[in-house]
Amino acid sequence: MPNKLPTLPIPQAAGIGLRSPHNAEMLSRRPSAGWLEVHAENYMGGSAAVAALENLRETYPLSVHGVGLSLGSASGVDRDHLERMRKVCVRFEPDLVSEHLAWSGADGAYLNDLLPLRYDEAALAIVANNIKLVQDTLKRRILIENLSAYIEFSGSTMTEAEFLAELVKRTGCGLLLDVNNVYVSAHNLGFDAAAFIEVLPAEAIGEIHLAGHAVNDVGDDTVLIDDHGSRVPSAVWSLYAGAIEKFGPRPTLIEWDTDVPVLDVLLGEAMWADMLAASIAFRKRQDSLPVSAPKQSAPGIVVPFERDAPRGQMPVLAAFDAIKPARLAADRDARRIRHAAA
Amino acid sequence: MLPLEHLQNIIAQSVLGNPQFGLSSLVSAGRADPCRRLRIYENNTRASLTATLMAVFPVVVRMVDERFFRYAASEFIRQHPPGEPRLVRYGSDFPRFLGTFEGLAEMPFVAETARLEWAIAEALDAASLPALNLAALDGEASSSTPELMLQPSLRLVMSHWPVLSIWSAHQNGGVPDQADVWQRKAERIALWRHGDNVRFARLTSAQFSFRHSLKKGLGLERAVSRALTHEPMFDVLGALVSLFGEGLVTGIGFDHPQ
Repeated sequence: MPNKLPTLPIPQAAGIGLRSPHNAEMLSRRPSAGWLEVHAENYMGGSAAVAALENLRETYPLSVHGVGLSLGSASGVDRDHLERMRKVCVRFEPDLVSEHLAWSGADGAYLNDLLPLRYDEAALAIVANNIKLVQDTLKRRILIENLSAYIEFSGSTMTEAEFLAELVKRTGCGLLLDVNNVYVSAHNLGFDAAAFIEVLPAEAIGEIHLAGHAVNDVGDDTVLIDDHGSRVPSAVWSLYAGAIEKFGPRPTLIEWDTDVPVLDVLLGEAMWADMLAASIAFRKRQDSLPVSAPKQSAPGIVVPFERDAPRGQMPVLAAFDAIKPARLAADRDARRIRHAAA
Repeated sequence: MLPLEHLQNIIAQSVLGNPQFGLSSLVSAGRADPCRRLRIYENNTRASLTATLMAVFPVVVRMVDERFFRYAASEFIRQHPPGEPRLVRYGSDFPRFLGTFEGLAEMPFVAETARLEWAIAEALDAASLPALNLAALDGEASSSTPELMLQPSLRLVMSHWPVLSIWSAHQNGGVPDQADVWQRKAERIALWRHGDNVRFARLTSAQFSFRHSLKKGLGLERAVSRALTHEPMFDVLGALVSLFGEGLVTGIGFDHPQ
């Protein structure tokens, strides 16, 4: 039975991760959401959720996000699973397909978690091969997502960001920038989140992920746990603002996997992402008016990690605040120059 | 330096809760203790897979209480981790595992109830095809006996314990009085997916044999003859009417060789 699905490109706007508790409401209400993303592994059977997605795919642009291909496995990609992934893509004809720079199994065991790689030449050859196999099988470019990590392996000869940039060169893959993952790893492993994003080839970034994380204290070690179980925190919004300031708008996904709230909360977060992107685009347009001479753009201020930061209702507002001072400064400079010219 | 595959095998074993030596030279975590950080992965794996099992076996959770279930689940995960990324397929061996698990020897009906819950989980992940009605059998004046194709979600469960009664008694927050003194009594159950839900029917041994033979693709004639060995007065028409009435027939083939 040939599919007759409409071609729906994913817009440079915010979408939401489709979670099964929301299926009935999505089907009956058809709320305004830019696009939907699903985990490929949940749609490999014949459940009611599969029928629901077939229905929603008529209306919403779709992204298929794999969590189980284990592109970092030294033993290679599981061909059976790749074939299932191919069938999901044939069935739903997604506009975007993505996976992680990670491994999730070894010795025949699947760990249901994403582990980091040792970032060296040997791993690069393995992952590049695996990505090529996946792209050849799916007959399309895939996006590779950066990881949230709690450990790193001794003996790495490059950073994760450099590794990703090299994968783009070798395989032609795109990148999925998970801003929350950058923030979580940067905190846990002690590197500079903004500098990580700087290293990525901007034109390869085809999608951005946003999510919340948990803060855990284990003895004197404060670890951020990537649990996708809360609103996007202000620090992550700020990092996001800096990223789209640099790259321009990108399809942006709100992910929420544990303690999934009512659908409107997800849609609300997506709306904030759109507003933030719109306000940055608006300011960029203003900056490009001939009167404002300085071409300087806001550096994307990173709100520092604060252990005791009050968890307000709308953490996103801090990101708007953070981009404002830079704007005012730019305005002041522009005025000064105008005065000087007069 | 360890080859990547060897490194991944060691770390995977550690994440599964099987202690490994010399990990601290392989991993680091800024200023934090890397072995303690590795335990985050171990916890994530155990917690997420335990949650998967709890979602599939909610009645078993209530029968043995949650703490015992978590203990049993973590042992199961360590000994039988998933073999592939489709988590809906994880747990098929759990009923058998419970059947041999220490502490449950006195409660064999727990593992049997788990078997029913696994059949429910399988049915929920199976496709639901458009059903034919009885009229589809008309008009084919063929001499061969037809083969009936049944819903892919149909599962047939036979137990020496009244597992559907046990399962039903635990629905909607029910706490049965005789929680651990169920009497042995055979039950034969058909279950299948209907939309988001599962429907059940209790069957006689003849009805069970009839549906079981059809599901195996033996054709109507052999299904009837097998049912008749259980029950010489087997009501063939009644069995067909309920099969169609329950929406379980999805196709009819008239080219069966026998």
